[in-house]
Amino acid sequence: MTPLLEVRGIDKSFGPVQVLHDVAFSAHAGEVTALVGDNGAGKSTLVKCVGGIYPIDSGEIVFDGRPVQVHGPRDAGELGIEIVYQDLALCDNLDIVQNMFLGRERRRGLVLDEASMEELAEKTLSSLSVRTVKSIRQQVSSLSGGQRQTVAIAKAVLWNSKVVILDEPTAALGVAQTAQVLELVRRLADKGLAVVLISHNMNDVFAVSDQIAALYLGRMAAQVRTADVTHAQVVELITSGRSGDLGIVS
Amino acid sequence: MRAGPSQEDIRRHNLGALLRHVHLGGPISRAELTSRMGLNRSTIMALTSDLTAAGLVREELPRETGRAGRPSLVVRPESSRVYVFAFDVSPDRLAVARVGLGGLILDRREVARERGSPALGELAGVLAGFARQMRRRTRDDTVCVGAAAAVPGGVRKADGVVAFGPNLGVEEAVPFGEELGRRLGLGLPVSVGNDANLAALAEHSRGVGAAVKDLIYLHGDVGIGGGIITGGHLLGGHDGYGGEVGHIVVNPGGRACGCGSHGCLEAEVGERALLEAAGRFRSGQHGRDAVRAVVEAADRGDIVAQEALKRVGDWLGLGIANLVNIFNPEMVIFGGMLREVYLGSAAQVRSRLTLHAMAPQRERLRLRTSSLADDATLVGAAELAFAHVLADPLEVLARAGS
Repeated sequence: MTPLLEVRGIDKSFGPVQVLHDVAFSAHAGEVTALVGDNGAGKSTLVKCVGGIYPIDSGEIVFDGRPVQVHGPRDAGELGIEIVYQDLALCDNLDIVQNMFLGRERRRGLVLDEASMEELAEKTLSSLSVRTVKSIRQQVSSLSGGQRQTVAIAKAVLWNSKVVILDEPTAALGVAQTAQVLELVRRLADKGLAVVLISHNMNDVFAVSDQIAALYLGRMAAQVRTADVTHAQVVELITSGRSGDLGIVS
Repeated sequence: MRAGPSQEDIRRHNLGALLRHVHLGGPISRAELTSRMGLNRSTIMALTSDLTAAGLVREELPRETGRAGRPSLVVRPESSRVYVFAFDVSPDRLAVARVGLGGLILDRREVARERGSPALGELAGVLAGFARQMRRRTRDDTVCVGAAAAVPGGVRKADGVVAFGPNLGVEEAVPFGEELGRRLGLGLPVSVGNDANLAALAEHSRGVGAAVKDLIYLHGDVGIGGGIITGGHLLGGHDGYGGEVGHIVVNPGGRACGCGSHGCLEAEVGERALLEAAGRFRSGQHGRDAVRAVVEAADRGDIVAQEALKRVGDWLGLGIANLVNIFNPEMVIFGGMLREVYLGSAAQVRSRLTLHAMAPQRERLRLRTSSLADDATLVGAAELAFAHVLADPLEVLARAGS
């Protein structure tokens, strides 16, 4: 099966510092691919390159089998790539529907088409089996951490996206909310999306992922199937870049 | 030579099959039924009008199809009219629900229960009392077509007697269904099933395993129960006690188990094992909240809690690896308190699977948490109660109405 999203040979430098070295990475439809690595390994940079925030120095991005150019977040959005950042970028003073359509509001003539936006927001949340939100006209400031994460994820799914990238979605959540978010992450993939999960929590990674890609000092140490590795091997890949016959050959 | 099925048999079978589609899939158009059941339109029409006349379904015009042509009538279950009683006995709670055809929970009562008390026989009185209260609040045109109970113990296939239940305080066989049926006084037999078996069926028919034919459901409460579904059928065994995955031995000479053996999966992974390893086994602290507190503490960096989860995750993974090697399931589902335990120890569980499950079996295995959550056993009991309605809809309704 060809991956839905594939990057090959990505290099990226900030001034004199090379952050990504010849990085390859792929994400398949219907699967959760966990992206792991220590702080500074290049996870966020890689994701921002895919999302069009940073231009890449060299390498190629292949989407659904064809090479594409991503020059900005709008290009990524048009391909169907959505990123949910750690800080969520939700507006506290707006309600759930307004947040989900922020910057991409539907219009009917000169006015906003509130009814159809509300309907679509409702439909998206229920298709994700989200039952924790009481009213979609609730202000985001009144939501819990887990509910905010849910809204941010639903916002990413709303646009018929094909690849959803989640940056540490369970950081700073309690156990009950973490469970809900993890189950939501799994449902996204089971619905056929390609999900990329950045996480430091190995239990979260093993609980929902199908593949694990480990970055080490800007290089891709290995991308492996979760069913074929142990916790200890993944930790080794993260901390030393290799484990047995897996990893970077020096 | 055995005679082929009579026309009457075929009709009964088709009525049941159609009702099952509506019951599990929700409102569905006649046209859709025609294509799903592979019967012709006039047969579907005859079947639906029989079921409509019996008051099991009703037909309505769809709201809006957005397509040209005369819209096909939509067949809906009579959820508010035809119902069953579902009972769930677990170590920490008693639940009773009135569940309408189509799986809709119409009314429910729940009370916390002290562990081990009262005895199973006396519980029947409490449960029947709740059911009678609910029944008094129903309209006159409603009809109760069945009742079933989920219990955390071994249920004998032949007569529905609860034969054992170490976590229930059952020492001798209890004819629980008979007792409950007598106290209910509805003239209906009460079916009884093992809670984890029923939860497995619930996840298989309405939950995360809906499209999956081969699955293993693991239910964590005080102990560990299980339900194994292979080829779409629940594995019951010769006497109906099959699927007791909590009692596979993972650690010979390990912790003592309530069943009398040592090192059972239940003894190493159950609630008490986790709480003891976390240094939290004190009187008064048990149940889901205590388990959740351990996972929460581990998440916040409590080293003792982390070690406890690792230990439990190791044994859990080992147990599942054995099951996966034998049954080659497509999905393993974690329910009850195992949902939290799995999410909090997945690294250990899956590492064990990688080490001990054979590669072809684990390659496409999917590990999921229960989507019916705490209602899985109750929903399973309701499905058991509906089972004979779906087997012979008109006969059951005629009997219930008389």
